[in-house]
Amino acid sequence: MFRKIDFLILFLFLSLIIPEDALCAGKARVKHLTCITGNQEIGQFGLLGGIFFDERKDRLYVTDSTNNRILAFDADFKYISEFTRGGDLVSPTSIVKDSKGRFFVTEPTKGHVLLIDMAQKSMEPLDFSGIPRANPIYPGHMAVDSADRLYIVDKANQRIVVFGPNLQFEGEIPVKGGHGLEDVKVDAAGRIYALSTVDGSVRVYDRQGNLLLRFGKRGTGKGEFDFPSSLAIDRKGLIYVVDQHKNQVLVFDKEGRFLFAFSRLGWREGRLHSPSFVHISKSGQIFIVDRENARISIFEWQ
Amino acid sequence: MCERIRTYYLIFTVACLMCTITTHVADAMDTAVSFKTCLKCHPDIQKELAQKGAHEPFRKLDCSSCHNPHATKYEDLVKEETGKLCRNCHQREKGLLAKKHSHVPFEQGECLACHRPHASKNPKLLVAKADQLCFGCHAKEGGFTKKTKHDPVRKGRCLSCHSPHTSDYEALAKKEPKKLCVTCHSIKNKKTQKSHLDYPVQGTDCMSCHSPHGSNRRHLVKGTLHEPFAGKKCTTCHNGLRSKNPLGLKDKGATTCLTCHPSTEEDFKKINSHIVEGVFCVNCHSPHASDESHLKKGKEGKTCGHCHEDTKEHMREKNNQYKHPLVKEGKCSSCHTPHGSDFRLFFVGDELPTCTECHERHAKFTHPIGKGAIDPRSKKDITCITCHNLMGSPYEFSLRFDRKKQLCLQCHKGY
Repeated sequence: MFRKIDFLILFLFLSLIIPEDALCAGKARVKHLTCITGNQEIGQFGLLGGIFFDERKDRLYVTDSTNNRILAFDADFKYISEFTRGGDLVSPTSIVKDSKGRFFVTEPTKGHVLLIDMAQKSMEPLDFSGIPRANPIYPGHMAVDSADRLYIVDKANQRIVVFGPNLQFEGEIPVKGGHGLEDVKVDAAGRIYALSTVDGSVRVYDRQGNLLLRFGKRGTGKGEFDFPSSLAIDRKGLIYVVDQHKNQVLVFDKEGRFLFAFSRLGWREGRLHSPSFVHISKSGQIFIVDRENARISIFEWQ
Repeated sequence: MCERIRTYYLIFTVACLMCTITTHVADAMDTAVSFKTCLKCHPDIQKELAQKGAHEPFRKLDCSSCHNPHATKYEDLVKEETGKLCRNCHQREKGLLAKKHSHVPFEQGECLACHRPHASKNPKLLVAKADQLCFGCHAKEGGFTKKTKHDPVRKGRCLSCHSPHTSDYEALAKKEPKKLCVTCHSIKNKKTQKSHLDYPVQGTDCMSCHSPHGSNRRHLVKGTLHEPFAGKKCTTCHNGLRSKNPLGLKDKGATTCLTCHPSTEEDFKKINSHIVEGVFCVNCHSPHASDESHLKKGKEGKTCGHCHEDTKEHMREKNNQYKHPLVKEGKCSSCHTPHGSDFRLFFVGDELPTCTECHERHAKFTHPIGKGAIDPRSKKDITCITCHNLMGSPYEFSLRFDRKKQLCLQCHKGY
């Protein structure tokens, strides 16, 4: 009898001294908020490409590559409208918007990045003619920094192409060794983050293109990647990497140290199946293209 | 008082030690006696015991190092799964697992696929002579049946080039490709230089053109040749002998290939694209010669697995025993397109027609699929891969869940 009481006291004592962090390992701190799926109004989603949350207008934009459209949702994730430009838009994937309200959308099947004015319903491809290249440019995901510089992943030349605010080609950041370059993001301080899927690595550059940090590898261990497909940085500087085959989001600190992972393979809300893209809004909402579940899954910190 | 306690303590310690020693000695004697008794009922093992190269614990009748005489959950009353059991003593082999490439049976702990546990007439307890052992599984591979065979292949000396357990190099090669062949073959002699049209081929990968096993062509040149290579028109792609860098490419990046294969560029311009940097065509195709169709660098499964390491691991996983037959054969391109696709998961087309093209009968009596059959979880059409994971599953028919338990309940709640 006394023994049982002793054990109980010991357990309570240990519960008090072991920090909550160690027990929860972060999982419980990020919770599923809601998800956006196809419905009668908008039809079924095809292959979803990118997401962008417009902080000024509180609108969420999603590219539906298969259905050649850009969908707009309000802050409560209710459908507002779609943009197709009468069928001229073809397989849009990545989408970003700068502070001047200009949308940039990639059309990889045409090798274009379009400058779109949705109000005027005008579309115009950026001029790639002055960009030196070994291979034809195949534009991937994009990012915009606070100075309206546009960063475009050029998969076929393993580099990030940089356009200035006046939409002139400014230069490039070669991602040396980053085989399978897939995504780019820029943080508030202007640091540029590149994710390479096949290499399984994240590289961080300064504005001049100097490598500041490299972390990550493919493998089965804790914090290692199966098939990383996208990344995003939150206001605190935490780095979120979506792993398409682990069906998880892995979270790292500024120095690239693994902190925790959330979600897992599943079909129910809150679970992921082949997630392919992540975007984080300034308010901290985490938007994930849950590709095989054909939905946008939204998570937030508790 | 203190001295008395010390004396009692000493007596107690000595008593404990004596007790432990006598128990162990008695146990050892008992075991030896009991295992000798076992041999009376297992005369076949008795014969093995007489063999010269018997396994050390077996020779010493230390049967308990591997077997439990009473009951275990493993076959032949072994104490643990074979792989774990062997690695308990064979620590060096355990360390080998850290290398990049592993022989599948070794990785999966199937040591008995190649070794006998008690005794063998062959060295290293091998189940057969080295020349027969490898061909037991690898008989159809890599040109062993071709007219001209590489000398070590003819003699069954696979270990001249390959490591049996693990290696840092592909195909379990002992050295990196550029250094492996030159271990035996000099390429500095005039004859070899002439046959390479005086191009400086030192330091290049010989297996880009030559088969390491066998070929129907002279000098073990691989079966299918790239047209310019067959016509000795090296300058179609390379700078040529007059250049400072004769083997350098005339064009930048994949333009080298796309100049002659312009339509292929269109294949890459899809929503999902396998486009990467450099001369990306040669990631999967050989620019000179190949034993595979479309000048593929190697067998499809292997070529794709080079980047899709985790998928390869998933397919190899022992539990994922139920796979689509084409997955087992490594024919990835039957369902996936290698350059680019506008369909999910790089499929060659819409999933349903792709599957029902072969599974015609199944399409007629299956659970509702296709347009209008909505998955309540994702609100999208149900297709074959909603329920099946063809890349490998622990459940029959490659189902994602056990059909007798969780599968239907995923959507049909409340049953």
